[in-house]
Amino acid sequence: MSVLAAFDWSFIWEQRSELAHGLVKTLEVSAIGIAGAFAIGVALGAARAHRIPVVSQLAAVYVEVIRNTPILVQIFLLFYGLPQLTPYLRFEPFTTAWLAVMIWGGAFNTENYRAGFGAVPYRYREASLALGFTPLRTFFSVTLPIGSRIALPSSINTYISVLKNTALMTAIGFPELTNVARSIAAVTFRDAEMIVVIAIVYLAVVWSLSIAIRFVERRLALPEEA
Amino acid sequence: MPEWVQPVVEYMAREGLKETARIAVISVVGSALVGVVLGTLLTIRFWPLRSMIRLYIEVWRGLPIIVTIFLIFFALPSVGIRFSPYLAAAIGLVLWGSAQVAEATRGAVESIPREQHQAASALGFGWVGRHAFVILPQALRRLLPPMVSLLAGVIQNTTLASIIGASEVLATGTQSIERLQLSSGNSHSFAIYAGIMAAFFAISFPLTRLAVYLERRLV
Repeated sequence: MSVLAAFDWSFIWEQRSELAHGLVKTLEVSAIGIAGAFAIGVALGAARAHRIPVVSQLAAVYVEVIRNTPILVQIFLLFYGLPQLTPYLRFEPFTTAWLAVMIWGGAFNTENYRAGFGAVPYRYREASLALGFTPLRTFFSVTLPIGSRIALPSSINTYISVLKNTALMTAIGFPELTNVARSIAAVTFRDAEMIVVIAIVYLAVVWSLSIAIRFVERRLALPEEA
Repeated sequence: MPEWVQPVVEYMAREGLKETARIAVISVVGSALVGVVLGTLLTIRFWPLRSMIRLYIEVWRGLPIIVTIFLIFFALPSVGIRFSPYLAAAIGLVLWGSAQVAEATRGAVESIPREQHQAASALGFGWVGRHAFVILPQALRRLLPPMVSLLAGVIQNTTLASIIGASEVLATGTQSIERLQLSSGNSHSFAIYAGIMAAFFAISFPLTRLAVYLERRLV
């Protein structure tokens, strides 16, 4: 606690607008990443669950490669590696940031949705087909609504991880929350103040998300099967 | 193979791999020890202890790992506690890893039937002996799959140490890229980062497969 006692709180208060800008960047990148991870998860998760040839195998490779390699190396490969391969693949830090977390979240989410869609009882789909629904219609009206609710808890954990992973963009100099705090510390030597403050901000965001999520989860939870 | 490859690989294996292994070993052993103890204590119905361990778990699971590492490396020196980069990274990973293990341990310990506790007590074991010799050995079966996953996660996250200046594998790769850029004008950054990815994949993929296999076999 002696750390906190020695803090110059007025200094922290003076930095509020800069830190707020950083937080907005963090949330922006997270929002794009989460939206993309959702789309990738549904599309590739469906391909995996329904064993669509070629797409399913490619998706499996994508999932394993992303899940079994450090995200920091993925970020560096995107940001420093690709431009060396071809100058057309040179991305801004902002683009790299959302792209990296989207690719990462998409892989984890593919697995979440594969499990979710796979857990939808086969008889539901059978019933839908028997009623004359096309396979595509069956997916959108039966498998998707039920499967996404099964996949909800695990996919939401993935989205929270996406948000936390945006902190790594400090390594490529993208001015999100962590990077802004480090930059302020670099010119003012207030390392401790800055890092403790953003830690509190991250916990506030992550905890309130988890609480909100538990609420939504309860509302959307599937009723127990009779 | 092009001639630039060999010195780079040698440098990364000699310098970087050693540091990566050092961070990984401390992190895994530390996470397992701290996590199992905290997770077992979490099953005691005594709310002050429980809420303290809960807080520990929620804080270190809620923070991005890099922020935890920054806290140790940049904030602790203001109270006079200083760690070298690799140790700061390892401690950060222990805080994160032990929170994961504690949660898994709680579940595993609670899955052991009450009769086991009662039988051990009847044989004269105290709380510590009961858990150390009777409950935890049985809970270990259930704990093995998450431990193997943790090992894979810790190994991948050792790369974060490069951000605070530890010269582990990723950092030595980046140094090699800068050196090649200066000496030959071609950084080979794509090949080097892709190579690092491949190396991590080669270690992590068997581990995650093993975790899935154990999950099916043991639980």
